[in-house]
Amino acid sequence: MSTASLHSEHHTHDHHDHHHKESFISKYVFSMDHKMISKQFLITGIIMGILGMTMSMLFRLQLAWPDEQFGILQTLLGKWAVDGKLDPNFYMGLVTIHGTIMVFYVLTAGLSGTFSNLLIPLQVGARDMASPFMNMLSYWFFFMSSVVLTISVFIETGPASGGWTVYPPLSALEKAMPGSGLGMTLWLVAIALFIVSSLLGGINYISTVLNMRTKGMSMNRMPLTIWAFFFTAVLGLLSFPVLLGAALFLIFDRSFGTSFYLSDIYLEGVGALENIGGSPILYQHLFWFLGHPEVYIILMPALGITSEVISTNARKPIFGYTAMIISLMGISFLSFIVWGHHMFITGMNPFLGSVFMILTLIIAVPSAVKVFNYLTTLWRGNLRFNPAMLFSIGLVSFFISGGLTGIYLGNAALDIQLHDSYFVVAHFHLVMGSAAIFGMFAGIYHWFPKMYGRMLNQNLGYFHFWLTFIAAYLVFFPMHFMGLAGVPRRYYMFTLVKDFEIWGDTNKLITVAALVGGFAQLLFLYNFFYSMFRGKKATQNPWGSNTLEWSTPVEHLHGNWPGEIPTVYRGPYEYSRPDREEDFFPQYVPDESAPEVLEPVKTKSAPQTEEVKETEESTVFFAAIKKVFGLS
Amino acid sequence: MMISSPKVISNLLFKRILTIIVAVVAPMYALAQSAAGDVIEPPKEFDPTSWDWVSILIWVLIALIVLVIARAFDIGGLAESVTGKKIASANRINAWVGIIVVVLGLAGVFWEISEHGKYLLLWDAASEHGSTIDSMFMWTFGITFVVFLITEFLLFYFMFRYQYNENRKAHYYFHNNKLEMIWTIVPAIVLTFLVLRGFDTWTKITYRGSADHEDYKKDQEIEVFAYQFGWKARYAGNDNKFGEANFNFISGSNPLGVAVGDQVDSLVVRLNAQIAELETKVKTVKDSAQLWQSQLDKLNASGLAQVYTTQAKALREKLDDIHSGAYEGQIEKDLRRKQTNLKRIAAYRAMPAVFNNAGNDDKVTTEIVLIKNKAYRFKFRARDVIHSAYAPEFRLQMNCVPGMSTVFPFIPSKTTAEARKTKGNPEFDYYLYCNKICGAAHYNMKIKITVVENETEYNTWLASQAPLVAPAVVEAPAVPATTDSTAKPAMAIR
Repeated sequence: MSTASLHSEHHTHDHHDHHHKESFISKYVFSMDHKMISKQFLITGIIMGILGMTMSMLFRLQLAWPDEQFGILQTLLGKWAVDGKLDPNFYMGLVTIHGTIMVFYVLTAGLSGTFSNLLIPLQVGARDMASPFMNMLSYWFFFMSSVVLTISVFIETGPASGGWTVYPPLSALEKAMPGSGLGMTLWLVAIALFIVSSLLGGINYISTVLNMRTKGMSMNRMPLTIWAFFFTAVLGLLSFPVLLGAALFLIFDRSFGTSFYLSDIYLEGVGALENIGGSPILYQHLFWFLGHPEVYIILMPALGITSEVISTNARKPIFGYTAMIISLMGISFLSFIVWGHHMFITGMNPFLGSVFMILTLIIAVPSAVKVFNYLTTLWRGNLRFNPAMLFSIGLVSFFISGGLTGIYLGNAALDIQLHDSYFVVAHFHLVMGSAAIFGMFAGIYHWFPKMYGRMLNQNLGYFHFWLTFIAAYLVFFPMHFMGLAGVPRRYYMFTLVKDFEIWGDTNKLITVAALVGGFAQLLFLYNFFYSMFRGKKATQNPWGSNTLEWSTPVEHLHGNWPGEIPTVYRGPYEYSRPDREEDFFPQYVPDESAPEVLEPVKTKSAPQTEEVKETEESTVFFAAIKKVFGLS
Repeated sequence: MMISSPKVISNLLFKRILTIIVAVVAPMYALAQSAAGDVIEPPKEFDPTSWDWVSILIWVLIALIVLVIARAFDIGGLAESVTGKKIASANRINAWVGIIVVVLGLAGVFWEISEHGKYLLLWDAASEHGSTIDSMFMWTFGITFVVFLITEFLLFYFMFRYQYNENRKAHYYFHNNKLEMIWTIVPAIVLTFLVLRGFDTWTKITYRGSADHEDYKKDQEIEVFAYQFGWKARYAGNDNKFGEANFNFISGSNPLGVAVGDQVDSLVVRLNAQIAELETKVKTVKDSAQLWQSQLDKLNASGLAQVYTTQAKALREKLDDIHSGAYEGQIEKDLRRKQTNLKRIAAYRAMPAVFNNAGNDDKVTTEIVLIKNKAYRFKFRARDVIHSAYAPEFRLQMNCVPGMSTVFPFIPSKTTAEARKTKGNPEFDYYLYCNKICGAAHYNMKIKITVVENETEYNTWLASQAPLVAPAVVEAPAVPATTDSTAKPAMAIR
């Protein structure tokens, strides 16, 4: 019942007719076409991103001018900002929901969801995802999840406000803070839906990559984007269920009187609770078993996109293709055994701490390899600075700055001082926040022509990049120094502690920079929505790229290619080959000069209608399972 | 596939999915509405005069500026095609901007280090292990900062040096095993150095807190107790032995739940009183319902319900709770909790090992006083949620977790007076902050730490602190009662 079969049937009548008699609903709403779904993910991600960014602006105002009254806040927030002063509980709510939205909704679903969906079928040469139906479900679960989370911001007791990690007992006890009531329930519902979405998507990505590659597209000819999405999906598939477990236990503790995370608690105004025997640390173990891979779930797609964009625009093969894959693999593997570095000072056995420290610092090696490989790719390249390239270079810069501070935080001894300080805020906002969002922007600028058949305005893109880049550094760089001076994160204001008052000016600078950064995003939004309808028409291969997606026509087709799926003859990064006149050599163009070296060009494959029909989703799915577990 | 017509399938699917969405989202929304709708004050009227028009205008202005800039670029749009010389000009501009940004940026980095460096605590640790952390930091900083400068410089230098030139072809360079080997092995060696050093520092700091350490018994233990939103410290008193403590014993007058017989007994009395009260409440649910109903009827009949809206609403809510069973459910839950509490207290009360009077001379204080160069071990407990004890000046941080105790051993090496002198701030004090999100007042949860020069000063301070049970010349049953304001009325009633 896949759409692919439905559409290919259509192609037999007329390959160029893609105007199906589809209703608005089946085309734009419950679409099963991976390109449409990717757009849905992107737009939803952007909307959530606007929400998350606005929240950060609100609490930045509070941090910069804690004694000031902002009329706009009362207008916007009503009882949460009486007399224009942000309520401390709502401040916590903003911080929490900002984190949740950015981590899960923008940088996981918005980034992975958009580009995995768009690029996996296009770059491996498939007509659609292995299971278009599951793909659609994946989006709609994500959408429901977004709706529930957004609703939770507007309820009377406020949204969940125990930080995005929602550590119990704070998040488990309704009386511990207002946000731990209905807001927390909705948070858990939203996350549960989100996990379902993520799993549905992940299974699909993995099976598509493993099973649906076109002729000649061996694993070692896949673009690094696909490798990154593939590892990301594997990570998500293995780690998200653990978060679901953690969330379920929390739901049980909250609603059914169990004591997984609760023990020995006396609550002001309530008294001694009955719960004994549980451990709040258990939650942290479960949470960070997801939480740490999650960091790489966010970052790796951005790294993949960057590899592709940098190579294309440097007109140069990516340096060390194999090393890049091995380091991705290394990072993926290590990410599962380092979660304890988030918990050095929870009272965990110090010996365990040292083990986690050693494992954590090992991650710096594959990360360093990636950075050096990017640099060498740029070396003696012929660099074209379109916005996508600039954002990729920005990503590398953030990845260096933020990655290096990881060496401090991964060190248990230094973590004693730096844990939960602004140093941590600076570190992760650079290495996973800014870097990943820059990867996402790079992807949007690079593949916008593929998504919408039009070009984004380059000059606005330049402005967007430089403003955002400078603003991001101005916001996050000074935070390192605050952290080193012992300023704790998640403080509503610093004026009550004398030692922290010296940071008043820094806080103002940060807020102003954040507002400028926010302003730059308005330019982007304008550019995005304007160009979607009125932008310059795109050519088929506007960046002179090698990968398969640019062999599809500008106008979208169901099934992607009007005729046969092209065959792949070589790796994706053959740029500036000395024996070629042009500086790129697409994967799908046969080499006339040395045909004997290559595989047979003409495949004896049956007309694609049948070929596609064979890819029943269940077959594909079980084949993937077999492959993953090495059964076939 | 069983059903072959895609149309049928898709129709079926949409129906099902719509049903699911409606089934899931609608109640959620209704829930949110019912929670929100009642309590938020009804919008009095549409009153734009109360809006913050200045801010709104500023936002509108910002939006207009965005539009103007955006339009300007559209009209004057420069090069957008891929080939040709046009990209070269845009490229040159961007490469130059890159150089300017990186030069200014690095200048900013050095400026920050010189400007903010003086606020940092790096060379100023007030504890012995703190200086080992600081030297670890300096090593890490030295290494990473060099790497940072080199890589960031190269990134932007390459960006400038290798900008697009139509007549040039990029260097076709796939990989170089030797090179890749080098930059795998060199970072690995450097990191090994950092790991070993870090391992050594970390182990030395934390191992002292473990019970097998030779100095474990010698180090003085102080209990640091965290609750929403404050800290308390407990000193062992003259016998140098801490009394047992348990969350079941916690009461207003015994915030740490120390096993002090009198305190716990008065808690039992109070709990019994509360239980009796709750039981009466259960029995008189119907009466309460009638009473509230009649009050509400009166309000409605007299038309006063329009005036006393909050009262009317409160009554309506209470009645709703009664009718839905939530009222009784809550009382039963409270009852069960208090009975469990009582049962557990009774079990402990019978254990002489728990109620061994060791806690009677313990001193609960609202300030921590330490002696310079003396070895301490903070033992942390939390009452309600996770807190984190964070005293950055001492390089000390440890989470306080309900249900388990955590420790942090350290030796203060600088008195408060010395710190005031070096900082040139006569009002400076050491503080221990909360560094784990714990609720609304998280940002203001701190306790002062004073480090004094010698034992005499310390003893003077400690002598001024009252023990949990006043040393009894005569048996003094009034002690708990006088410190406990809530206990009295409860006992008076029953």
